[in-house]
Amino acid sequence: MFNWWQTLGRRERSLFVLIILAAVLVTSIDRGFLSTTNLRDILVRGAPIAIVACGVMLVVVSGEIDISVGSLMALLAAVMGLSLSRDHAAWSSGLGLPLILGLGTLAGWATGVLVTVGRVPSIMVTLGLLTALRGLTTIIMRGGNIQNLPDGLTRWTKQGLFGLPLSIWTAGVVLAVTAWIIHRTALGRRIYAVGSSRQSAAMAGLSEGRLKRFVFAYTGFLTALATIVDVPRLPQIEAGIGNELELLVVTCVVVGGVSISGGRGSLTGVVLAIVLMTLIRPMLTFMAVGESGEKWTKAIQGLLILAAVVADHAFAAHSRREPT
Amino acid sequence: MHHTRFCFVLLSLCSIWSAGCGNSSSSSAPTTATGEKKIRICMLPKIKGISYFSSCYEGAKRAAAELPNVELIYDGPIDGDPKKQAEMIERWIVDKVDVICVAPSAPDVVANAMKDARAAGIHVITWDADGAVDSRQLFINQATPASIGKGMVAVMVDNVGGPDVTGDVVIVSSDPTSANQNAWIDVMKPALEATKLKLVTIKYPGENASNALADAQDVIKKYPNLKGIFGISSVSFPGAAEAVEQSGKGGQIMVTGLSTPTPMKRFIDSGTVKSIVLWNTLDLGYLTVRVAEGLATGKLKPSDSECDAGSLGSKPIVDGHVLLGDILVFTKDNIDQYNF
Repeated sequence: MFNWWQTLGRRERSLFVLIILAAVLVTSIDRGFLSTTNLRDILVRGAPIAIVACGVMLVVVSGEIDISVGSLMALLAAVMGLSLSRDHAAWSSGLGLPLILGLGTLAGWATGVLVTVGRVPSIMVTLGLLTALRGLTTIIMRGGNIQNLPDGLTRWTKQGLFGLPLSIWTAGVVLAVTAWIIHRTALGRRIYAVGSSRQSAAMAGLSEGRLKRFVFAYTGFLTALATIVDVPRLPQIEAGIGNELELLVVTCVVVGGVSISGGRGSLTGVVLAIVLMTLIRPMLTFMAVGESGEKWTKAIQGLLILAAVVADHAFAAHSRREPT
Repeated sequence: MHHTRFCFVLLSLCSIWSAGCGNSSSSSAPTTATGEKKIRICMLPKIKGISYFSSCYEGAKRAAAELPNVELIYDGPIDGDPKKQAEMIERWIVDKVDVICVAPSAPDVVANAMKDARAAGIHVITWDADGAVDSRQLFINQATPASIGKGMVAVMVDNVGGPDVTGDVVIVSSDPTSANQNAWIDVMKPALEATKLKLVTIKYPGENASNALADAQDVIKKYPNLKGIFGISSVSFPGAAEAVEQSGKGGQIMVTGLSTPTPMKRFIDSGTVKSIVLWNTLDLGYLTVRVAEGLATGKLKPSDSECDAGSLGSKPIVDGHVLLGDILVFTKDNIDQYNF
């Protein structure tokens, strides 16, 4: 246990302490917070964010950013609905789901091409896509909403497999694969190398363009995966799906200690940040903050972000700065 | 070279963006068959692409089809962002349209843009939600907050089994700034105090389906004596019904709220929802276009006490509000007559 604590960076430690404090605070008011149902609900809400964040984190580490994931999720959800729903094309899942995954990957790869070949800053490319993909979603959904996805898909995402919803299993696998990429492969090391110094990476003969196209395509693929395992548990698919997801994901990546200028960041930190952000809504309900307190949800989210960053400096006073 | 490539990509992005933002109407005014200038009526919903506003648009199109001198332009933000509403109004001022009909998400955010439109000689009316009184000429009021708020409470009392049943209820609203929802809440609170149901909290998930589902799941866990949830936005109503259904408490915890019938039909069929409260959205869109055309042609003055609403007959105007009428309650008995 102590050894594990030693492996954590400052940011992870402050996030961990904040999560424990928050959980203790709420549980002292209402024990129900730690019920299995509630913990399961929190995991289900965090799962899609974790899946998408694995991709966005690598994008940020490589020195770029992607703020189009929420709109891409909406578009993919619309395509999923229009192709699989019994009220629409009613394709089999075996045909429709690979199509969604392919489409997501292709969209991510195309973003990467615009950034690396078109040499447009990624913030501008993905800002344009954020609006364009939403607009496209509205057009193809024709103002309606879509229900009646295949029974198997809704059953797996709501009740789940072996007691846990599909999204939690998927998030576990995606986190494991992403950790393996970061820690065990040359690819992971190269993504970090490109992010920390483009010049030295270029001198070492690394192809910046290929690496960046990979991280964007990976993000697109993961966004498609998150759409498939999370959206069917919602009552219906509407054009507003994935609203503000990009903000939430980027927040979790940055609060998790990933350097916005690239080259540094740990997956553990991102996961801890996701846990913290996902706790806020149920916390407010279980603490019975009342009607006026409810209006503070966003402010509290902001304060926690600040607290996580400020806590860093508090820890810095106690521990020697670790080498970066 | 580098710059030209950059500009090219930027241009192509811009073109994608504008294509994604609906039709940027050309500034050359179209004409009717007889050659006179068409009246261009712009309809600005709070959010484009949700079934509620889409059904208003259906009614608006019906009125536009009856009026040969009208060209209807329907566009709005996809995320409900009031700042984008203001930008669209400014764009329509440049296009010199004749009437702008706004359903403001946040009245104070769009008030200046609406005043700019008035100053430019464009008629401005509000529909679905009112804006700042000095920024519009008339408000198309679909149902007064009093009739909606009291209607929802009456429906809930009936659904839980009558006025003698005690227990907790929760309201799941939209954003803390949503004018409509806040007006209904102000009516629902005193109405609930007169019943044996206790309002324990109000949640604000915004226009976000995941948050609405999450908030409803959380109140079900938190309040063991929960008898009912009011889902008072088109996102929080299905979210609350879904949460009750997934928790296996369908029939024990009643869900009611405002919605168009079709999205909620599944929950009516399963018994999770017994009653849906609404007004006739088709008629709301229809009346909006009728009033807009009346103002633009001069047939209608904002000071009139009634207006000609085509197939709806004549509608009263009180204090700048054109009143559409009473609420409509959908139940399993009548829901099949409506398809929006």
